[in-house]
Amino acid sequence: MKLLRSLALAARPVQPEPHFRAQQFSRIYCLTAAGLFALQAIVAMLGALDLVIPDLPSPIPFEYGRAIHLGLAEMWPLIATMGMVYFFVTAELKREIYSPRLARWQFWLALAFTLSIYGTLALRIGNGREFLDGLPVLYLGLCSTLAVAVYNLLRTLLASGKQVTPAAVTMTVGMVFLLLLLLPNTIHYSNPIADEATKFWVVHLWEEMAFELTSAGFIAAFFITSGIAVRSQVEKWLYLEASFAVAAGLYSTGHHYYWIGFPAIWLAIGSLVSLLQVIPVGMLVHMTYKGLKAAKLTSKREKLTLWLVLSSLFYHVTGASLLGLLITVPWVNLYMHGTYVTSGHAHLALFGSLGFVVLAGCYYILSRGSEPSSRGYKAAVVAVVLLNVGLVIMGSALIVAGTLQSYLWRFLGNSFMQVSAVINPYLILRVLGGSLFALGDLLLFGVLFGAWRQTKAHPVGKP
Amino acid sequence: MKLRTFLVLSGLSFVLFVAVNLISWQLPLAIPQSAAAGKLVWQHHNCISCHTLFGNGGYVGEDLTHIVAKYSSSELVTYLVNPPVMRPNKHTLHPALSEPDAEQLVTYLEYVRTLPTLGWPPQPEKAGDYR
Ligand code: HEC
Ligand code: HEM
Ligand code: HEM
Repeated sequence: MKLLRSLALAARPVQPEPHFRAQQFSRIYCLTAAGLFALQAIVAMLGALDLVIPDLPSPIPFEYGRAIHLGLAEMWPLIATMGMVYFFVTAELKREIYSPRLARWQFWLALAFTLSIYGTLALRIGNGREFLDGLPVLYLGLCSTLAVAVYNLLRTLLASGKQVTPAAVTMTVGMVFLLLLLLPNTIHYSNPIADEATKFWVVHLWEEMAFELTSAGFIAAFFITSGIAVRSQVEKWLYLEASFAVAAGLYSTGHHYYWIGFPAIWLAIGSLVSLLQVIPVGMLVHMTYKGLKAAKLTSKREKLTLWLVLSSLFYHVTGASLLGLLITVPWVNLYMHGTYVTSGHAHLALFGSLGFVVLAGCYYILSRGSEPSSRGYKAAVVAVVLLNVGLVIMGSALIVAGTLQSYLWRFLGNSFMQVSAVINPYLILRVLGGSLFALGDLLLFGVLFGAWRQTKAHPVGKP
Repeated sequence: MKLRTFLVLSGLSFVLFVAVNLISWQLPLAIPQSAAAGKLVWQHHNCISCHTLFGNGGYVGEDLTHIVAKYSSSELVTYLVNPPVMRPNKHTLHPALSEPDAEQLVTYLEYVRTLPTLGWPPQPEKAGDYR
């Protein structure tokens, strides 16, 4: 507690900005997401230790621990995104959300369903689908919260009429897709091919399409509202970038369809369209680069936000796009698929590019109306460094482990368990990287919590 | 680009995507009832957290897509009903199934073996000792 307080102390209040009730609620979404992120690191460390310490006693068996970890990987970005969309859509449209009450209900529903999923999984009640483990009815519940969000956002956009901005539309369309893609995952498939495919509508399309839209919207709105970029400049590109993200995102799902029983044409669709996926990433980088060159970084708060956004861009280009492209080549994928290389890519891409941008948004929202003290700022920088160093160690260790598996097991044909023994040192290295990451995670949570406390005491611009 | 163009493009891409998926995931052979029951056993015991199927899943144990090509079904049932110690542990046993569950599950794995996976899992250069 003392540490937390000292992180936030001596924060200077700054210029008030227009304030809406939806923005007040978005804070609780962001704080909850940061809390779930901290929880994820703890669960993950236990799982990673379980893999390298034989006979480790654990109240939750590895298989359910992994399911909780994967569920958290989707859910904290989702909850943060819900809050951030409310924040930035109201900021963009300069009007209150259609129904602040619905926005609040939506939060409690989302939290209840999320916690129910983890609670039941901890009791070993699930349905055995990777990434989407948990009773289907709970996922239906999550769909209902997304439906509330979509309704609320659409009513707000409609009320704005001609004033709607591309950033607001892009974020709303992102939310619509989150809902449409999750819905087919609330039913049971006895067809294993359909089961695998619809799973990737969340695993791939949430991350590489829907969240891409919401993130592009945040970054655009952040640049515009903080005066880093000129509105007309950003808006010229945004719909084009969003259209690319949708079309390329959808058909690049093909790179998950190579070996699950889909026709061979998907080898071509998957690999060719994945190339196009790099275009929206390039445009995002371009937009940020131009913004940065023009930016005059005076406030520590905006600097910190930018550090987080920049971390995200780094992994977006490396761990997501470059590594993603490499493993998309069917001949490479044939050998690397189903090895720790996938896990390396998953961590670098999912946390690196999505997680960092979501945390940037959470920090920006929670710290609004304050400036970090120099101690708080230093702590936050240490947290960002720890997260980055930890992630790079973790990702590299997994990539090496996976490459060894591809060569020794897949290519040369040694037995799986023999090779598992060979890669064990790299899984230990992953635990070490994971520890740094987890430290950074807890420290960043402290910073976010501190920012929340600080600004809770001095609500800015409250009407 | 205009708002309307963006919405129309996105909507059309999505509808077309769903349509080609529905066509592409047709099963070559309908799934028999016992195999469908086996799939439920598979899900119920969360095998996916430790094993991959079609290469998707956890990396603790062997990929099971074509496991029936390497063991007979009775060997597999025995393995699952009386599981051995799970390496690298010294005491912890592999998760166990009841005999009827194990039989259904193996039927499911036999069914999975018939799906056209386009040459996956890859054939290694040298035939290794499997165990
Ligand atoms: C906690 C992780 C875990 C879970 C859960 C798990 N397995 Fe395993 N499984 C393993 C490991 C590790 C091995 C290799 C054990 C060894 O060789 O010592 C293995 C081996 C096997 C084998 C033998 C493979 C071979 O090549 O020798 C089969 C078959 C199998 N598991 C099926 C299943 C099924 C079916 C389920 C679900 C009911 C399941 N497993 C759940 C970890 C797991
Ligand atoms: C925001 C960016 C991205 C995120 C969040 C992301 C996330 C993920 C995740 C979580 C997986 C693991 C799926 C699983 O375990 O079943 C995965 C697999 C994969 N990703 Fe990405 N990814 C991103 C970008 C990309 C890009 C740009 C490409 C290619 C151009 C790509 C290609 C792949 C491929 C081919 C796989 C399958 C690997 C395999 O199972 O063999 N990814 N991705
Ligand atoms: C302390 C940090 C972390 C540790 C130690 C850790 C550890 C693990 C472990 C042990 C697994 C299961 C085995 C494996 O697939 O490799 C796993 C899987 C996974 N984790 Fe993490 N994790 C951490 C952080 C994260 C974060 C922050 C995210 C995303 C937000 C994430 C996303 C995933 C995904 C998507 C998978 C599945 C990978 C696949 O199927 O290929 N992890 N992680």
